[in-house]
Order: sequence, then structure tokens, then C-alpha cells
Amino acid sequence: MPSLLVIIPLLAVLLLNLPLNFLRRLALPAAVLFAVYQALFAMQLLPASCTACPTHERWFVNVLDPLTSVLLLAIAVVAFASVFVLHATASDEKHGFNAFNLIFLAVAGMNGLVMVRDLFSMYIFLEIASVASFILIAAQRDMGGLEGAFKYLVMSALATMMMLASIALLLAYCGSTSFMVVAEALHAHGSHGYLLTAVGLFLGGLLIKSGIMPFHGWLPDAYAAAPAAASTLIAGIVTKTTGVYALIRLVLHVFGPSVAVQQLLLIFGAISVVAGALAALGQSDMKRMLAYSSISQVGYIVMGLGVAGAANKFAAELGVAGAIFHLFNHAIFKTLLFVNAAAVEKQAGTRDMNQLGGLAQKMPITGLTSLLAMFATAGVPPLAGFWSKLLIIAALWLAGYHGYALLGIGASLLTLAYFLSLQRRVFFGLLRAGCENVREAGWALTVPSLVLAAILLGVGVALPWLIGSFLLPVKGF
Amino acid sequence: MDPNLKTELLANVILMAAMLLGGLATVMLRQLVKAAIALAFTSVVLCILMFKLAAPWAAVFELSVCAGLITVVFISAISLVKPATEEERAAHMRFKVRRYFLLPLVLLTVGCGLSYMTVRPLPVVAGAELITDMRILLWGPRALDLLGQILVLLAGVWGVVVLFKEEK
Amino acid sequence: MTKLMYFAILLPAVISLLALGTRKLGKVCAATALLGAVVNLVVALKLFLAPAHAVHIPWTSWGLDFTLRLYPFSAFIVLAAAGFALAITLYSLPFMAKREHSGLFYFQLLLSVAFANGAALADNLILLLFFWEGLLITLYGLIAIGRPGAWKSAMKALVLVGVSDVCMMFGIALAGHYAGTMTISKMHLVLTQTGPTLAFLFLIVGATAKAGALPFHSWIPDAAVDAPLPFMALMPAAFEKLLGIYFLARITLDIFALTPGSWCSTLLMTLGAITILVAVMMALIQKDYKRLLAYHAISQVGYMILGIGTAVPAGIVGGLFHMINHAMYKSGLFLTGGSVERQAGTTDLNKLGGIARLMPVTFICFFVTACSISGVPPFNGFFSKELIYDGALERGGIFYAAALLGSFLTAASFLKLGHSAYFGKLSEANKGIKEAPWAMLLPMLTIAGFCIFFGVFNAVPLHKLIIPALTGSSFGAAHVEEIAKTHLVGWPVSTLLVVGTLVVLALALLNHFIGVKRSGSGIGAADHIHYAPGLHQAYDAAEKGWFDPYEIGLKLARALAAVTWGVDRFINWVSDSLAVGLTAMFSYIVRALHNGSLSVYIWWALAGLVLVIVFLVKVN
Repeated sequence: MPSLLVIIPLLAVLLLNLPLNFLRRLALPAAVLFAVYQALFAMQLLPASCTACPTHERWFVNVLDPLTSVLLLAIAVVAFASVFVLHATASDEKHGFNAFNLIFLAVAGMNGLVMVRDLFSMYIFLEIASVASFILIAAQRDMGGLEGAFKYLVMSALATMMMLASIALLLAYCGSTSFMVVAEALHAHGSHGYLLTAVGLFLGGLLIKSGIMPFHGWLPDAYAAAPAAASTLIAGIVTKTTGVYALIRLVLHVFGPSVAVQQLLLIFGAISVVAGALAALGQSDMKRMLAYSSISQVGYIVMGLGVAGAANKFAAELGVAGAIFHLFNHAIFKTLLFVNAAAVEKQAGTRDMNQLGGLAQKMPITGLTSLLAMFATAGVPPLAGFWSKLLIIAALWLAGYHGYALLGIGASLLTLAYFLSLQRRVFFGLLRAGCENVREAGWALTVPSLVLAAILLGVGVALPWLIGSFLLPVKGF
Repeated sequence: MDPNLKTELLANVILMAAMLLGGLATVMLRQLVKAAIALAFTSVVLCILMFKLAAPWAAVFELSVCAGLITVVFISAISLVKPATEEERAAHMRFKVRRYFLLPLVLLTVGCGLSYMTVRPLPVVAGAELITDMRILLWGPRALDLLGQILVLLAGVWGVVVLFKEEK
Repeated sequence: MTKLMYFAILLPAVISLLALGTRKLGKVCAATALLGAVVNLVVALKLFLAPAHAVHIPWTSWGLDFTLRLYPFSAFIVLAAAGFALAITLYSLPFMAKREHSGLFYFQLLLSVAFANGAALADNLILLLFFWEGLLITLYGLIAIGRPGAWKSAMKALVLVGVSDVCMMFGIALAGHYAGTMTISKMHLVLTQTGPTLAFLFLIVGATAKAGALPFHSWIPDAAVDAPLPFMALMPAAFEKLLGIYFLARITLDIFALTPGSWCSTLLMTLGAITILVAVMMALIQKDYKRLLAYHAISQVGYMILGIGTAVPAGIVGGLFHMINHAMYKSGLFLTGGSVERQAGTTDLNKLGGIARLMPVTFICFFVTACSISGVPPFNGFFSKELIYDGALERGGIFYAAALLGSFLTAASFLKLGHSAYFGKLSEANKGIKEAPWAMLLPMLTIAGFCIFFGVFNAVPLHKLIIPALTGSSFGAAHVEEIAKTHLVGWPVSTLLVVGTLVVLALALLNHFIGVKRSGSGIGAADHIHYAPGLHQAYDAAEKGWFDPYEIGLKLARALAAVTWGVDRFINWVSDSLAVGLTAMFSYIVRALHNGSLSVYIWWALAGLVLVIVFLVKVN
């Protein structure tokens, strides 16, 4: 029963907070167990293994499609990694326990978000994940964290306003907020200015949530200032579900990829891809660089989505499949990078790349998995990121957007450039004075690193199998 | 007009006016703490409005998150802020015009422009007129959103716990 | 049953990793290597006895599948490789015991076995290429762990074989394109159109270069001096011949139908004949035990290429028979060289002499294997050479004459080698030499025994190994019917050929006595040929490396480097200064726009929103 994925975390939060001391120690095992359960549940639903997916049930009147199951899987993996990071980095038991509860809540919110088929319900679950994230970012009550949370909060409020206004307009016109009804109405009278305004408002809100340039102002501060576990969760999956997933879902199934929407997505995607990479190139804070890299990578996803309505059907399918695949891959490698950033920060005491160097000798697992994740992000074969970028660029080319395709390839070089600079300044080269006593991080950080790295490699190598059984069916038409 | 309805309408208008005043006060007040409290007041009025519109869950949601949590976040952020120097005050005054009068003006212009572009007779969607009561539409078949409300409440509780509770 | 083929590839690879892990532990590592070689031989034997079958795991949709095929030919190659691997591992136990890097040696030896098994069993060209390149890497590594400075020879080998492999890659791409499949057993191309012919030529370059034919041969003599000796007995003498000729046979019998009289066939035969003559001429004048053998390793490949190039049954069977014979006697010869090196401390023929009495077993082994390579009846080399002569004569007297001349020079150079190393005056320094330990003698004796066995009872290898190998090939089956009609097994039918061979051998003996009389020593037995007018200058040029493609390549590369330097500076400026500068500038601009002010960010978002709505409304 899919709604368990929302109810279990809710019950878990209630149970763990019963006034019994030993329950607090169960938070990590409970979270890990739940993540594993969710991953298994999601894999059952993947197109390769699912012939007749369960559809209707009492609470959620919805259809679990492959797109949802991919997202559920990604949420499970990232949640798995972030609870480990939390366990390793929490300053004391109380802080850690509070953050556990918030992660549970955020996961419940995201699970609900990817399962609902109603604009207003979507909005509510989106808010749950966001509110939990605000608190997670500010949880240390340090200056940076509060600033990041505040920026995220204010920009999110703006997004909320836009989305609610859009929902109100659509509700007043269509009489319902369910995807089906709204999609039908838009299909019939979509060119009317009133409805277009509604669509534009919703798109604007989602673009803020996904951190697409120029709607991204909150993102670098929020990612960089958040505590390690929070940034892992938020960068890895929260913005991906609240922003990017919602965008994909609505563009494909509700608003429809009209020519104008496609053009917008392509333009904003291209701006993000290039400007994000350029900004990342000049950063000296490891997490801030990763944050700008996120903007750039999300740009790729949005560009892939931008060919969803292309006249060339094959290109359209490739583009959507590539966007979803890249969304999944991005969740994995960005989480891995944030886990490793947490490891570096914990062991070396700083994230400033000018004060680090040569850590690969001292932290071999972290160094190696980082290299892998960076190659995956930059699109080096045969890692997972290569294939998804290839699909997106091929789709752009086939759909006739040759300029955008070349831009994508060029930005890949930039990606490689800033990541190699990161790798060189942090992990390679001579051991920096002051780093002599650094040791490899504990199991709680290396285990998720290794698991995520294995997924990256596995997905890359298994691609020939995935492409037929998983990628093309997932396209969501 | 039915006097009952008339009273009701009057009450609604008063509440909405209070809400608007509260919002305006929030942006206009110089002291941040007062501004935050004004915001909380706005939220409370909105909450009452929601109760009156037969949307108790939305009201609870509004009360907990907006009036409770966000005020908390604001106040804890404010507690970290230093008082402004004379210079900053002067600079603030200079930009005040642009910020508080230009912004609404721009928004108004844009809104007018947009509505000019969008004004065209709307085609009617079949079935839309069947639903007469928006309250039923919003809160009737929405068992699912209850779950969401509970989750948001819990998130709010943790916001208070994490951000507001003083360490010993 | 199907798992057996995976075992043949995986087991040696896994045990090689064990050897790598225990490389610091001397004897444990050696024992692990021996275990690996034994296990591999057992698997190879089981494979040899198993019925023919194939396994196929689809991997990508564009031709790269994991396809292995077991049939008599591949099983035969795997078995032979396993036998040599075991013999050489055993031999290495005492030989490598006191040396540096012995652990790395065993590791790479077993890894080579795994790659060789993979290459022999692969039925997909791209998969084959993977294993092929793996062997190139261990080739480099094995040479590089020799004496200090060996990396230069290793680099030479890597470059030369690498260049030929690039040709082969190109050939694979072309062949795959024209055949529409990458599966070897499903490829059937004809040599009448330009495209497939081009593919054939490129593939031939790869196969013959692996076997060590001209012009990609010049690393072998250098490696002979620099690399650890068991490497020479393993790779150039055994593995590379087996795989190179195996692949050549698959090219000419499986992928393409090579017909007698086609110009491709003539080209192959010419290549074979030239390889025989040039290399044997160089061998004749060498003054180092191992270098002399190395040139013969090149020269004998010429016979195999000549035999297979004839495209007539006698020639093909002879070529394949010569391949296995050569692998045996040449690794046997290298092993005798190794035991002389270990016991006497040198392989310089000037410093050796008269050690036959001190190392009788080694000498007997040398005698048997030298007779084999010279084609003296009734040793195995005689029978395979007769078959090749038979095939060559069928295609033209000139090829027969070249092969016969090669035989003459081979015999002459081995008379010289035997005379100067084992007979003549025993120097004072060599008085204390003892016989080599049993672990080195055992492999040598086994190989020598096989040389006699394969000669006297040549029906066994021909019926059990060579002819079944042809039946499994697409175009080889036709030959088998013809073979059944002709008489290839046992003593050669043609008395004329036997007489020719005997006359040549007698002439070689005569030539040797003349040479010894003229120069007064065994080592100078070939001086009258070396300093003959005309040949003298050619030899000088060859010694200076004028004909070495690697040296020529190096010179060309230097000239090219000077020209491209200027171009490179310009490109460097574009990429290092211009591109980096522009990127840095844009990066600065983007960063400068992010001043951290929330209100600025909100303005951006609002502007974006207006843009979105206006755009949506306007475009519709």
C-alpha cells in the first residue's frame, strides 16, 4: 500500500518521541530500515519488474507510474545516506535526534509529493518538505545557517504565493484541482491569456523551488550554510522533488509541453547550465562550489525536458528519458559529493579548498569516491552521468536544437574543469601543512559513500539492460 | 438583503481590512520585532477568516505554520541582528521610497498589463458550474490533505523545539 | 560445462591477484604461481576433452557481446598455452628465486595466461581485442621488470605492437562493418571487393605483428637482452606465436576465404619469405646466445606465415604444425639459454665455450631442440617444414627456394651457436660451472621429449590437434576433405623434398667447417658470410638500426615534433591563455552578480516570472 510510505514516517516520529530513553537510540536503525523498505518497494514498481502496478486505494486516488517509482527510489537512497551523515556529524544526541525527526518528516512530505495527482495536495506536501528543510538548515542556530534558512524561506514564500495564485486561478476556472481535470481544461482552452498566466505563475514557483537561474538566489547560501546532513538531504533530493520533479510532472501531464513552455525551459536551462558552471569555477568553499554545480546540472534536466513536445517523437522520448535519468543520477552523485564534503569538513575541520590538499593519501575512500562522482557529473563514460547527459544531448540534437546541444557539450568541459580543480585542491597534490593528522572518516560516512559509488558504477555498466527495460518505458507519455 | 448576511459581510470586510492593515504594518514598521508581531497578527486574522469560511484545517495550518513557526524563525533571526548605525539608517531612508512605493507600483503596472493581455471572454468548462460551493470542493474529498496537515503541524512543533527552545 | 570457459579466464586472473597480494613473501608467491599454472592446465585439459560449444551473453546492441566459443582449435591453443605456462613457471622457480620483482613476474605471467585464454576462446572481435590489448600490457610489464633500463625496450615493444594493434582495430571495425556482425564464426567475407580486402590487410598486420613478423619485429632482440629470460620463452617464443598464428589462421579460414592464387595469398607468402630470410641473416651474425635465438623467433614465424599463406592444405597444416613445434623448440632453446645464463653468468658467446661436459643435460636438450629448428629428421621441425615446402612448391619454386635458403642459414647459425657455446676451449673462469637444478631441467627435458615425440609419432598431433582444428573453421572444412585424400601424415611422400633438405643440411655442415677453418674458432664460423662484399655494408646499416621501423619512426617523430612545436605553441596560447582568460572573466562577472543581497535575488526571480508570463502569452 503506497500510502504507507507517508504514514510510516509519521508514525515513526510519533513513536520515537514517546518518553522512553532507549527509543532515541532506535532512530538510526529505524531510518535505515525504512529507507531500505522504501527502496525495495520502489524497485518492485520499476517498469522492469512491474507488469500491473497497484493503482487505486482508499487514501490516495492515484496511479503509481514509473516516474513516481524512480523518485521514490532516489528519495530512499538519499535519505539512507543523509541519516548516516547525521549520525556521524551530529554535535550532540539531542540535536541529532531532532534532525532525525525532521528528516523523517521531510521524507514523508516528499513521498506524498511524488504520489499525489492533485495540484493542491501537491502544494501541501511540497510545503511539508520545504518547512522541514528550513528548520534543518537553521538547526545549528549559527549565523550562516539562519541566513541560508531565511533566504530559502523568503524565496519559497514567493514561490508559494505564485503557486497558490495559480491554483486559485485554475480552481476558479476548472472547478477542480485534480491533474486530470486541469489538464483537460488546459488542453481545450490553453491558449487563453488567463490560463497562460496561471501556468506561468506555477512555472515561476517551481523554477524558484528548483533553483533555476535566475530564480536561484537562495540556493548557494542554503546549501553551503546548512549542517552536513541537511545539505546532503536538501541538495540531494528535496529541491529535486519539490522543484524538478514537480516541473517534470506538471509539464508532461498537466500543462503540456507547448512550444512556448519548451522554449522557456530551454532558455532557462541553458542559462543555468552555463552560468552555474562558470560560477562554480570561481568558488573556494567546497559546498558552495557543489551548490553552483547543482544549478548547472539541474539546467541539463530542464533542457532535456525542453524537448518533450518536439515534433520528432523519438527525440522527445529520449529527452524525457534523459531528464528523468539525469534527475536520478544527479540525486546519487550530488549526494555522494555532499557526503564526502561532510567527511572532509569533519576530518580536516574546514571546507575552504585553499587550506586543504593531498587528502587522498589520508582519506583514500573519500578521495576515490569523490573522483568517481565528479567523473559521473562531468559525464565521463561509462559512469551513470555520461549516459544521461548523452541522452539529453542526443535528444537536443535530434530535435534540431543544435546550438543547445553544443552548449551542453561545452558546459560538460566546464564541469570537468571545476571538478578537477576541486579534486586537485582537496585530494591530490602535496599534503597541506596542518593536514598531517587527518584520518579517513568513520564507517558512518564511508559506508554511504561506497554504496552510492557502487550505484553510480552499477547503473553505468548495466545501462544496456536499463535502456530497454527501464529508461524508455519511464518516459512518462 | 438578509440582515444576517449583511452582518456576515460586514464582519468579513472588517477582518480583511484588518488583515491588510496588518500586512502593511509588517512592511512599514521600522523595528523588526514589531514587524514580526504585526505579521503574526495578520496571520491570526487570516486564520479567523478561514474558520469563518468553514476551513478549520486550513486555519490550524495557518495558525501553526505562519503565525507560529515563521514568527519564531523571524524572531530568532532578529535576535542575531545588530542595531543599525546612523549611516545605515540614513541609507535606509533614502531607499525607502524605492522599496515601499516603487515595488507596489511596479507590481500594479505589471498586474494591469497582464490582465490587459489576458482579458478575453473565458470559454466555460463543462461541469465547472455544477460545483457551487467552493468550501465543499476544497475540503470535502480531501482526506489525504489531513495527513499533510498533521505532518506540517509536526514540522512546526520541531521548528519551535529546534529553533526556540533555549539550551540550559 | 559452460562455466568451464569462464574458469579458464577467471581462475588464472584470480590466482594472479593472489600472487600480487603475496608478492613480498617470496616462496609463497612462487607456490601460488605454480598452483595457478597447474590449475590452469587442469582446466585446459578438461576444456580439451569437452565437446565443442559456445556461450553468448548479449551486452550492447551494437555488436559488442560476450561470446566465447570452444572448438578443437581454441581448445588446442588453450591447452598448448597452459602446458607452456606450467613448464615455464616451474623453470622460473629457481631462475627467478633471487631476483627482484619475482612476485610481479608471476602476477603478470598468470595474468597473461588469463588474457591468452580469453583471446583464444573469444568469438567476438571486440572481445578478442580486449584480451589482445591485455596481453600488450603484460608484455610491457614483463619486459619492464627486467634489468635496470629495460623500460626502454618495453616502450619499444609497446609502441611497435601498439601501432600494429591500431591497424588491427581498424581492420576489426572494417570487417565488422562489412560483415554486419562482430561474431567471428558468423563472418564470411570474400576477398574480391576493395573494402573487405582492406579489412583483411589490416587484420593481417595485427596478427602477424603479434606473431613477430617483419616489420614490427625489432623489439624482440632488444627484449631478449633486457627482459627476464622466462619471459622470452613464454611470450615471444610461445604465447605470441600461438595467438598470432591462431588469429592468422582464423582470419584466413574463418573470416575470409583465402584462395590459392589470389594476390592476398601471394602477399602473405612474400611476407613470410622475406621474414624468414632477413631475420635469419641477422641471426647468423649475432654474438649473444639470447639475441641469436630472438632473431630465430622472428625467422621461424616466416615459415608459418608462408605455410598458411599458400592456402593449400599441405601448407596450412604445415604452418599450424610448425606453430606448435616452434613454440616447443624455441621455448626449449630459450630455456637452455636461461640455464646457461644462470650457471655461467653470461650469454656472451665470446665468454662461453666447452661447457657441454659440465652441463650435459642442458646440452642434450639444446641438441634436440637445435636439430628440431634446423629441420633434421626425425625431429618435429623436419616434418612441419617438409609440409610447408610441399605447399610452397605447389605455389612456386621461388618460395620453395627462399624457404630452403632459410633452412640452410638456420642450420649454419645453430652449428655456430652450438660450437661456440658448448664445444671449443673451456675458459678458466668457466671451470666451476655446474649443471642447472632439476626444476629447470625438468621443463627442458619435457619439451625436448615432446620435440622427439611430435617428430617420430607425428600422426598423433596431426590427427588429434591440427586436422580437427580445421574442421571447426568455416572455410577450413573444405580443406579437410582434401587432406583425407592426400598423404600428409608420417614420412614425407616426396623423396625429392627430403633429398633437398638433406643436401641443404650437408651444405650447412660443409659451410661450417669452411668457416671454422678460415677464422680458427666456432664463433667466427659465419664471418665469411658476415664480411662478404655487399653483405658487409648491409649488416652495418642494420646494426645501426637503419632498417628498424622503431628507429625510423623515432627520427620521423622528431622531425614532426619540430614542425608541430610552433603550431602547438599557438594552440597552447588559445587554450591556456585565451580560453582560460575568457572563462575566468565570465566566471568573475557571474560571481560579481551574486552579491548576497536577498532583495536583488527577489528582483531577479520577479523579473523571471514576468518574462515567463509575457513569453507564454505572447508566443501563444
